[in-house]
Parts: sequence; structure tokens; C-alpha cells
Amino acid sequence: FRAVPDDGGLVDADEDKDIKTEASNDSWGNNNANDGRLLSPSPGSSASAGSNKSAAGASEEQQTLLAVLQFLRKNKLTESVEILRREAGLPEDSLEPKGADSLLSRVTASSTAGAQAPTKVAAGEDQPDVNVVLSAYSQQGDPALYEVYYSGLKRFIESVLDCHRAELSQVFYPLFVHMYLELVYNNHESEAKAFFEKFSGDQECYYEDDLRVLSSLTKKEHMRGNETLLDFRTSKFVLRISRDSYQLLKRHLQERQNNQIWNIIQEHLYIDIFDGMPRSKSQIDAMSGSLAGEAKREANKAKVYYGLLKEPEIELPLDDEDEEAENEEGKPKKKKPKKDSLGSKSKKQDPNAPSQNRIPLPELKDSDKLDKIMYMKEATKRIRLGPDNLPSICFYSFLNAYQGLTAVDFTDDSSLIAGGFADSTVRVWSVTPKKLRKVKSAADLNLIDKESDDVLERIMDEKTASESKILCGHSGPVYGISFSPDRNYLLSSSEDGTVRLWSLQTFTCLVGYKGHNYPVWDTQFSPHGYYFVSGGHDRVARLWATDHYQPLRMFSGHLADVTCTRFHPNSNYVATGSSDRTIRLWDVLNGNCVRIFTGHKGPIHALAFSPNGKFLASGATDGRVLLWDIGHGLMVGELKGHTDTIYSLRFSRDGEILASGSMDNTVRLWDATKAFDDLETDDFTAATGHIHLQDNSQELLLGTYMTKSTPVIHLHFTRRNLLLAAGAYNP
Amino acid sequence: SRNIKMSAPKTIPKDAQVMIQILKDMGITEYEPRVINQMLEFTYRYVTTIIEDAKIYATHAKKSNVDADDIKLAIQCRMDQSFTSPPPRDFLLEVARQKNQTPLPLIKPYTGPRLPPDRYCLTAPNYRLKSIQKKVSSSAGRISVPRLSVGAVSSRPSTPTLGTPSVQSVTTKVGTPVSLTGQRFTVQIPPPSQTTTTKTTTPSTPAVSNVLINPSLIGSKNILITTNMVSQNTGGESLKRKHEDDDDYDAL
Repeated sequence: FRAVPDDGGLVDADEDKDIKTEASNDSWGNNNANDGRLLSPSPGSSASAGSNKSAAGASEEQQTLLAVLQFLRKNKLTESVEILRREAGLPEDSLEPKGADSLLSRVTASSTAGAQAPTKVAAGEDQPDVNVVLSAYSQQGDPALYEVYYSGLKRFIESVLDCHRAELSQVFYPLFVHMYLELVYNNHESEAKAFFEKFSGDQECYYEDDLRVLSSLTKKEHMRGNETLLDFRTSKFVLRISRDSYQLLKRHLQERQNNQIWNIIQEHLYIDIFDGMPRSKSQIDAMSGSLAGEAKREANKAKVYYGLLKEPEIELPLDDEDEEAENEEGKPKKKKPKKDSLGSKSKKQDPNAPSQNRIPLPELKDSDKLDKIMYMKEATKRIRLGPDNLPSICFYSFLNAYQGLTAVDFTDDSSLIAGGFADSTVRVWSVTPKKLRKVKSAADLNLIDKESDDVLERIMDEKTASESKILCGHSGPVYGISFSPDRNYLLSSSEDGTVRLWSLQTFTCLVGYKGHNYPVWDTQFSPHGYYFVSGGHDRVARLWATDHYQPLRMFSGHLADVTCTRFHPNSNYVATGSSDRTIRLWDVLNGNCVRIFTGHKGPIHALAFSPNGKFLASGATDGRVLLWDIGHGLMVGELKGHTDTIYSLRFSRDGEILASGSMDNTVRLWDATKAFDDLETDDFTAATGHIHLQDNSQELLLGTYMTKSTPVIHLHFTRRNLLLAAGAYNP
Repeated sequence: SRNIKMSAPKTIPKDAQVMIQILKDMGITEYEPRVINQMLEFTYRYVTTIIEDAKIYATHAKKSNVDADDIKLAIQCRMDQSFTSPPPRDFLLEVARQKNQTPLPLIKPYTGPRLPPDRYCLTAPNYRLKSIQKKVSSSAGRISVPRLSVGAVSSRPSTPTLGTPSVQSVTTKVGTPVSLTGQRFTVQIPPPSQTTTTKTTTPSTPAVSNVLINPSLIGSKNILITTNMVSQNTGGESLKRKHEDDDDYDAL
């Protein structure tokens, strides 16, 4: 029995013999790319003991040398090989390529050691290209034995204690996928098919879609074009297992000839160990489902400034007769959301709020100040919502939308509605009786009286007044629409890869922002204007400013398309939902991903921040709405009820009600105050990420409102808390 | 003996059956019947393109038959051309890292709408008007799109900034030569029988007729209507416009 340290090199000299040595140039390269270590194959105990007992540093040195040696050998620089070997004093048989046995133990007790591994890119590999990445699979093992290995593991896990079984079962899916992909890559098509047929039925039901995609991949060439799959293999599938369960697994796999599995686990899985009780199946199910497993705990540890920015002080005009405070001060941080604090004089800086100039924001123009005054006036007339005071819902149905309605947006004051269509047009309607007018041509503008009071009326060309305007310009369906907060601009993003900025005064297109070369699924203006974010098929979200033709920030990290992008109310953070079933929160200042939320079982199509900035709600194709606490990085609620994809989510103006609209033709109202009430986030929960979700969806559901076969694709609360909804009638 | 009939309409051709099977295997249960046709069309087009390309490669390599290598090459070339996939993740991460290192640029104080430099915008005219010596064309709407920068104007009645209209000739006829009866305002345009010379200089010299609307009709609004009527105004022409409240406008 060999003592194995928790971190550092793990020597395993038993299974070398049955390993085929294929043309292992690629595999060699791969090892370097992955972990930069080479198994020192000398079976002598001294070497193994040596590398065992030495600290991680020394054995790394050794192995880097071996890596260099192998590289030289590969390139047939035999003399250099000899010289180096002599000088470094390496044993003779360290040169033989032993296949792609990866040494590096991915197991870490606390999380930091594991993080080192990806940064150790070995000597000789500076350009990870597809071949190298794919060659992660040239690991040899007898293909026929894969089934045996897997069944063996299955039997073991089934025999384990109940409390550990749920946790260890998490291993099945990633192991299955990686083994299958390995077989495919090494051209063992028939074995791969047999393997798939035998074990795919055992996997969790929420992985069904992935398995279906996998089943269509039978040859190596198929893997090449599939970016998501490539990312799946290079990024580690993260599992969270308690220490006890992990020990069990490790002991079992090291005993016998299960080292193949152990190797795969080490290479492709990242096991985040925590101390404590093993999790139950329901807890695990709540958090799993994403393409890359769960999120590592330290991914959610960065500080997030989720507070709101201070409102600027605005002098109210003297003839204002409403009773309002003279100045509007910053909102104090409170657990429960409050309406605009018109009377509070707190001048303290909210510790959770970003500083005013953390990111540059445009200053307020006079027209913006007027808007804010209007906003404050409306806020006083706002209805307080609650479980006994539900909002009225006004539904805007798009009739005869043969063009295919794909996106809708309202302005904040609910005066304009815009629709994006599959025939690549954007249409803007006026909701109020006031019609839409274009600005006059320059020649006409020259002649108006510029000093008159109503010059803003005069610049409008009355002849162009109409209820709606059509904006043509895109060359593909328009998937995302967003009004600017000052109602001057409209953004639209389309399948043609561009985001267009339209002026709402001339109703012409001003700029086309090119950057994504693939369909852009969503775009949104920041609540303060000037910045906007877009996300698309190329798996990145980009932050733009209207006066830069290139993006300012690129948020890259998702494994699949970015389907939904939303700004935080303080404009310092961007949330993106993706087809890889995770939600990431990005910091605008430096582009870092500060939160990763897993738990959805389908691509995410709707995101909404609560007005106080503390919580995030998300909806996906699985019909569930999940609630997240941004500060702690935890899931705090799950709202079940919808039966089809949720395409829209919106909090009421004061955050008391959450409205969700779905493809199942209903709008549902949920009690947000209650859902966020009494959150116990003690240290244990925060440290381990264990969540205890109450099954209280039924209590939180305040109402279900059916439409007449009209899927609800957009929701908007007016400033007075009337709920507006929009969708295209679909008989 | 029976007549030989055409195959019964219920029998679906084999290729279509294959498509249906594919859809079933991928778990798609609801689809419009047109999808099968689309798939068939795509498949046919793709396969013939590949095979034609492969044939070209085979003749280029002076082979008499097309073999698997030609097909592979043809597929590879087409993949790089039409079916590109987004960039790989490590490349994106590297680009993102570089881009995210630069600090966010400071925002200049308001100087008009915040747009990129003009050559990245779509605000320039994308046509040029030829100068004609002869008669005025009767097409309506020869209205140039000036470089107009319009932003939210501050509440003080300052001038919105205007670019100079960079057009060759301006013949702006207000509205179309249609009398909009039934609307609240009527516009009368001089008949296009007048022969005028269109000036090619900037419209600083054309005859401009300013018509001041009778204030009593409008109320508190005073609207100046200007037209660059290069033509001479014959007598009896006037542009009348009656404004009532906005609510009375019928949809145009």
C-alpha cells in the first residue's frame, strides 16, 4: 500500500503494461497542454517514494525536465537528448513514452492548489490548437474494457451507503461522456456505440438533450466543428463532493485496475471537496444540470457591489406643487426594498454600493433631469403592490404578426413600444395618443424660430406623424430590442451579426456595430444610457458604448451561446444567461466573472434584477424560475409552475411582486417579498454552498393569468405599477 | 387488368422518410411539414456541391475516378467556407483578456449625440444627385438627408446643431402633389409644367417663400413653413396648412 499525499504527484506504476503506445506524439503534446507532468514510470520504489515524499515543487522540476526531454526526443534531436539526460541525471527509462497518463491529482482540499494546474502550461506547447485539445483523448486503454470499468464503478457506487450514493452518482455523467468521446476520438466506433447504448439510459433525465447531441457524434471528424464539445473537454467538469464520499471513491479506484477511470477523473473532472455532511439527492439536483457541472466555490467569492448608486440631487422647479422633498438623497441600504426614499436624509455611503465613479457614467443633461422629476412625480402615485393588492395586467397582443414577432421592448415611461420581427424589420408604436414624428429636414430646421419656447415641438415635422414607424436595415430576424433610457435611441440586434442604433427622432439608422460575426441573441442599454451589452452565438457578451465602434469589454467564459444579457441597476455588473445552462455575473470595470450560478436544466431565456440590486431571477426552458442572492452567490428560491419556456421576467417597481411570462400562454405573479424574506445565510451555507430550498412555490404563487393562445414574451411594470405584457397572437 | 396508377399519395419518398427519421432521432416531435422539404432541398444542394467539387479535384489530380480523398477535401473546403464555427474558447479568452485590460474611457461632457466617428456611422448620404439641365422632375420627395445631428436638446431654446446639407440640388417640394382632402390640412403644389433651372449651388439663393400661418387658425402655435421652391411662384399659389389639435389627425 502506498501512501499518497493529498496534493502533489501521484504515482501509479501498475497499469503501464497494458497501455498501448499509439503514435503518441499528439498524446505527448496533450499531456503538456493539460498538466505538464509526466508519469515517471520507473517502477523502482525509490523513484516513486522520492516523488511522493518530495514537496510538489521538486517533483514538478523533475517532470518539467522529463517533459523537455520528451520534446527533444520527439523532434529527433537525439544528441541533445543524450546531453540533457546526462546532465540532469535522469534515469534511462524515463524516456519511454508511456502514453498519456496524467499524473496531476485534481483533488484539492481547499481550493487553491487545483487552480494552479491550468496555469502550468508545459514546455513545448504554446499554441493550443484543435489537435492538441482533441488529443486529450488519445489516452489508451483497451476499448473493450471501458464497459467493464464503467460497470464496475456502477456496481461499487450502488453498493455504497445511501448518504454517499447521491454524491458519488454525480460522477456518472461526466465519466460517461468523456469515456464515450475518448472511444470516438480513437476511432473505436462500434465500441463507442455499444458503450453508449448500454449506459446512456442510466443518466439523469435532465441530461437528455446533451445525450441526444452526443448520440449523433460517431466519428472523430464530427467532433472537430463543434465548439461547445471542444470546450466541454478542455474545461473541467466541476463536482462538489464531501470529503467522506470522496475518500470512499478514491480508495476504491486505487485498489484495483480501475486506474483508467481514475485517470479520466483526474484529467477531466475537478472535484471540489468540502467538509461536512454529504448532500442529498434533491440538493444536488437543484444545483446541477449545467454543461460544466457546478460552480467552484471560489468562483463565487469575489465581492460584488450590488447596492444602488446614489441618486443625484435635483432641484425641483419652484412651481411644482406636489409634496416632495427638496432634495432626493441616496437610498439607505435596507433588507426589504423600500420605495424611493423621499424623506430620508441618510448621507452614508452604502458599503455594498459601488462608488459613483467606479465606472464612468454620462452626466445628466437637462432633459434627463426633467425625466427624473417626472419619474419622481409618478413614483408618488405608484400603487403599493402585495399579495392582497395584485397589479392589473394590460396585454398588448400583436395581431397578424405574420412576420414573426421575436422581440419586444417598452420605454421606461411606457410611452413607446417596439417590436422586432423575423422579417428583419423593427416597428415602433406609440402607446399614448401622441403620435410619432420625425424631425424636420435640415433645410426646414434652418427656418424655424430657434428662440421660441416650444422649439422642441417645432423641430418635429407634423407631416410625418403616424402611429407607428417601420425601421428597415437588418438583414436577418431581429432578436433583441432595447430603448435607451432617454428615449432618443433604440437598439436592435439581429441574426446578421450586427447591433444597430436607431434614432427615435429621425427614425433612421445611425450606427451598425459589427463585432459578433454570428447571430446576436440579445442586447440591452444600461439604465444610465451610453453603454449597452450584447450577447450572441459566439459565446461572448460584449460591452459597447454608443460612441465607440468597437466593444469596450468582452465577457468570455460561457461554453455555449449567450442568450440573455441584462445590466444590474447600478450599471456596474452585467448578467448573462447562456445555453450552457449557467448564469454568469460580470464586472464591467475589469471584465471578470464574479459569479457563476448553476441549477437550470435548460438554456436561460429570461433574467431580471430586483430593483434593490440584491437579487437576480432567472427563467429557462425548463419552466422554473430560480432566485439568486448575488451577495452570497447562492440559490435562494425556486418557483415551479410554468410548464413551458419562460421568456420574460420582471420585478415590480418596488420589488414586491415578480411577474413571469411564458410560452404556455400564462402570466404568473409571485410574492417576491416573501421569497426573499428571512433568508438564513449562515456561515455554513455560505461556505459550502448547501442550500435548503423550501418547496413553497404554491404559497408564493399569487395568480395565474391565461391569455388566449398568446405566448407572453415581454413584461413591463409602468412607473405606477401597472403590468404591461406583450406577445403575438398565435392561434 | 388494372390501370397502372401513380403511387398513392400516402407513400412518402424514401428520402423524405429518412428526414423524418432524422428528426425523430434528434427528438424533434413538432414541426411543420415544410421542414421536410427544406431539409431535402438542403441535403440535395449540399451533396451535389460536394460531389461537383470533388470531381474538380479529381480531374485536377488527373484521376479518372472520384475517390474518398477527393470527397474529404471537398468537404473540408466547404466547411471552412460556409459552415464556419465561432472562434475557439482559448482564443476568445486571450482576446478578452487583452481588451479588458484597457480601462474604460472617460466620457466627454455632452457635445451632441454620442456616436462613433462619422465613417463608422450610417448617417452619410449614400447617393449623389446628378444635375439636370432641363426640367424639374416631378418625383416627390427629393429630399436630401442632411448630416443632421440631433440629440436631446437642453431645455433652454438653444439651437440644435445642424450639419450643412451636402447636396447638389435641392428640389424640395413639400409633400406630394396630392391634395389631401379629408385631412385637416391641404397642400397645393404648383404643377410641374414649369420649366425651371435647378440650381446646383447650395440653396442659399433659391426663392424661398415663407408663409406665415394665420395665427388665428392655430392658436398658440406659430409654425413657419418654408419651401425651397426653386420654381417661380405663380400667383394664386399658397400653401395652406390648417392645424387643429393633434388628436384630430387621422392616420396618414
